[in-house]
Amino acid sequence: MVQVVFEKVSKAYGDTVAIPGLDLVIESGEFVSLLGPSGCGKSTTLRMLAGLEQPSSGSIRIGDRDVVNLAPAARDIAMVFQSYALYPHMTVAENICYPLKKRGVAKADRAIKLAEVAALLQLEPLLARKPGQLSGGQQQRVALGRALVREPSVFLLDEPLSNLDASLRAHMRAELIELHRRLGKTMVYVTHDQLEAMTMSSRIAVMRAGELQQFAPPDEIYNRPANVFVAGFIGTPAMALADGSLADGGGHLVVHVGSLAVALPFAANGVRPDAVTVGIRPEDVLVGEGPWQAQVRLVEPTGYETIVALDADGLALTARVPGSNALRVGETVAFDLRRERIHLFDKSDGRRWEPAGR
Amino acid sequence: MPDLALQRPGLSRERRDALLGLLLIAPTVLVLGAVIVYPLLSAIALSFQSVYTPTLEGHWVGLANYRELLGAGGFWAALLTTAIWTAGTLTLQILIGVAMALLLHQNILFRSLARSLVLFPYFLSTVVAVLVWRWLFNDLYGIVNHALMAAGVIDAPVNWLGAMPNAMLSIMVVGAWKFFPFVVIAVLARLQTIPEALYEAARIDGAGPISRFFDVTLPQLRDVLTIVILLRTVWDFKEFDLIYLMTGGGPVNGTRTLPLIVYQQAFGLNQMGMAAAYAVSMMLVMLVFMLAYLQRARKAAA
Repeated sequence: MVQVVFEKVSKAYGDTVAIPGLDLVIESGEFVSLLGPSGCGKSTTLRMLAGLEQPSSGSIRIGDRDVVNLAPAARDIAMVFQSYALYPHMTVAENICYPLKKRGVAKADRAIKLAEVAALLQLEPLLARKPGQLSGGQQQRVALGRALVREPSVFLLDEPLSNLDASLRAHMRAELIELHRRLGKTMVYVTHDQLEAMTMSSRIAVMRAGELQQFAPPDEIYNRPANVFVAGFIGTPAMALADGSLADGGGHLVVHVGSLAVALPFAANGVRPDAVTVGIRPEDVLVGEGPWQAQVRLVEPTGYETIVALDADGLALTARVPGSNALRVGETVAFDLRRERIHLFDKSDGRRWEPAGR
Repeated sequence: MPDLALQRPGLSRERRDALLGLLLIAPTVLVLGAVIVYPLLSAIALSFQSVYTPTLEGHWVGLANYRELLGAGGFWAALLTTAIWTAGTLTLQILIGVAMALLLHQNILFRSLARSLVLFPYFLSTVVAVLVWRWLFNDLYGIVNHALMAAGVIDAPVNWLGAMPNAMLSIMVVGAWKFFPFVVIAVLARLQTIPEALYEAARIDGAGPISRFFDVTLPQLRDVLTIVILLRTVWDFKEFDLIYLMTGGGPVNGTRTLPLIVYQQAFGLNQMGMAAAYAVSMMLVMLVFMLAYLQRARKAAA
């Protein structure tokens, strides 16, 4: 069983601290995505795990070995690069066999491994070609093949799909999920694309400015974001976030946001923060009927649903409305909220605050 | 342009385009014809004549110049000397150039300064460079002998330019010193375009520094090295001033390459026709490399 553990890992470039101190435990066989905007430290984290960067302090363990002082080749990992990094003068077969060759695997054994990997990734017809003669998706599969052939205990993938076009990306996502299911190996996947992270991961580590924001399964990240950053970063279109306050409305918790007073189906007992950030996902805004009125600011039909930007007396909300519809900009509509699904964050520290009884 | 013939009605569009095309390439064709084709044809014509240089008067002798040239043995000896000089100095240029480019590609101290300084020999006038080198190689007061003797490598001063094979080795070294920056520029430019991810992938795949050089760097340099070698072969093959000024072709004929014979025939012996025959023969040898270069360039463009 191969666990990957980051313990108080920090990385500084000169005076610039990229990662102040990271603690992360990736369980054996997990598919973990490191997700965050550019410069959040996700690639640096992966590269430190690969041995391409040296952490400034802390320890990284793969299995029961501390790998900080081990060369990349000695870490029992394989990596797939964003640019694929295939050796351009070698054929597909030579590319895939290269890591075996460098480890002194006999030629006959290399051929057997190559055949296995080629069959798994459907690369047989391409083995004699050079990378320059392959499409992006094929190059991607060769890069995967080169990683697979060594049977490492951990796979590292650095934005491997970002150079592919949209339809191929969807296809490769499915292939990667299938591959992970069949191999059962630990995979660490760096991406800035939340859709990739949400669809493939067993857990997602959301990072920002070198700090781990939340490390949880996709549905928890989406439904119970740990703080305002995760709430705003995950979900397209983004969750509406606005300042509000909490009050006791005759035993019920009432949240005041904009000019709305929303009675929540939770008891008002216990300690509650003075000021809160209120988060409302687009699918929790119900347009049509309800106690409140809003003006339509923008209508974006996408086919199967329409994204509608609303202005409820100064409060900006986004709503998803099924199908195409006849909403017009400037029109006033009635709306309601799925009150039990409203997210509350303590304004003082940005952390999620749960009312009693949820 | 109301009077331009191209505007005349009745000309089809295709014909108009074709005429316009001719008009546009005409200046280039004329200039190339005047400065390249005409002198080339004149040289070939000269090589079939016996011409006295000071008066430039002469008469048609047919293939007599070529018969003499091929029969005398001097041509073949000089061709061999030229080949040895070219192969030797080029090998040194490539080895030093690639090594220096690899060094300058690293994160060394004062990298930009070093990158500028390394070009110095290439920009220095050959006459100046040769004067300095002749001084360094001088058998009486040159620093090369002094240093080698001080280091105990040699017991007595070595005659670097007046004996063979020393003279050939010396000009090879000076040629390498003078022209290696060209290799550095070309190779360094290519090195900077090799994606870092290839080296990282190789490190993860278990390749050490030597493997990374032979499996990543060198294959990526292959194309640029082919072009550099072809170009430098042609340029070294016809190198004149450096050798003429260093040794004058001596000792005896030890470093007398083909370009030196051309000069000697034309202005020493006043045999312009014979000189042209040598020059044309040289051109034919170089044509092989030119064709190889053109084929390479076309392949690279495709």
